[in-house]
Amino acid sequence: MAPYVNFSEMEVGDMLPSVEKDPVTKTQLVRYAGASGDFNPLHTDDAVAQNAGLKGVIAQGPLIMGFVGQAISCWVPKRYLKRFQVRFKGMTFPGDVISVSATLAEKTAERENLRILCHTEAKDQKGEIKLTGQFEVLCPVDKS
Amino acid sequence: MADKSKIGVKLPTYLLEVERVKSRELMAAIGDDNPIYLNKSKAEAEGYPDTPCPPTYITMAFQEFTGAYLEIFKMLDVPLERVLHGEEEYEYIGEIFPGDVLHCQMTCESIVEKKTRSGSLDLITLQTIFTNQKDQTVLKARSLIIERL
Repeated sequence: MAPYVNFSEMEVGDMLPSVEKDPVTKTQLVRYAGASGDFNPLHTDDAVAQNAGLKGVIAQGPLIMGFVGQAISCWVPKRYLKRFQVRFKGMTFPGDVISVSATLAEKTAERENLRILCHTEAKDQKGEIKLTGQFEVLCPVDKS
Repeated sequence: MADKSKIGVKLPTYLLEVERVKSRELMAAIGDDNPIYLNKSKAEAEGYPDTPCPPTYITMAFQEFTGAYLEIFKMLDVPLERVLHGEEEYEYIGEIFPGDVLHCQMTCESIVEKKTRSGSLDLITLQTIFTNQKDQTVLKARSLIIERL
């Protein structure tokens, strides 16, 4: 695993290294249904999704939130993550390739710590935004 | 339309037993192989007593395994087929580990009607507080549910 991001060396406006996922698969949506307990057939049964006017099954929004959680866990040790919020914006279909990016939005010193706010978003291969969000980190200042 | 007289209503507290295998299942579904969440010795090397739950583990606390969403939608008179998930927020206060037993308290925090160009919506905010078996509050979740009117 790559080392975590060092916020002590970053400035507001800097981007974190983006994380690109493999294409979403129908099998993945079935697995996520089982893992999360979201058994809405819109996510697993093409016929039901087509009856609802969609071209086929769509991903569960929280799966895409899970992708962002994966990216955050590459950037920040779990214990420093204090808040994580997303707004679901668009539908994700099987075959979509989601990439997760983030920007350092606020950085304030708080005693021995840094309080960090990052803005994040997940987009597909066409640049369509699936969700936007933010997360807050409280981490020790790196004195090295 | 959500029953606004029910703002503040709480579901009876329900339990969620945190299981290692569910963490693994969630990680596999996401396609995340971060060893901190999967391998106890890797987690211990980073100073955790065991593998912490991944950031979105708690998502499963609301769906069919517990029935919490279904139950509160029924209390609020919100028909399932009109519901969309707008936002989700987790505030992390402590870590959650396999074997923990979480007491989950869901409250309907607010219901706000909003007019948009494509029609009216009710914005329903549900807050859930998770307290472990040591009586430590470890997480607060907030779900914004959109009901199309």
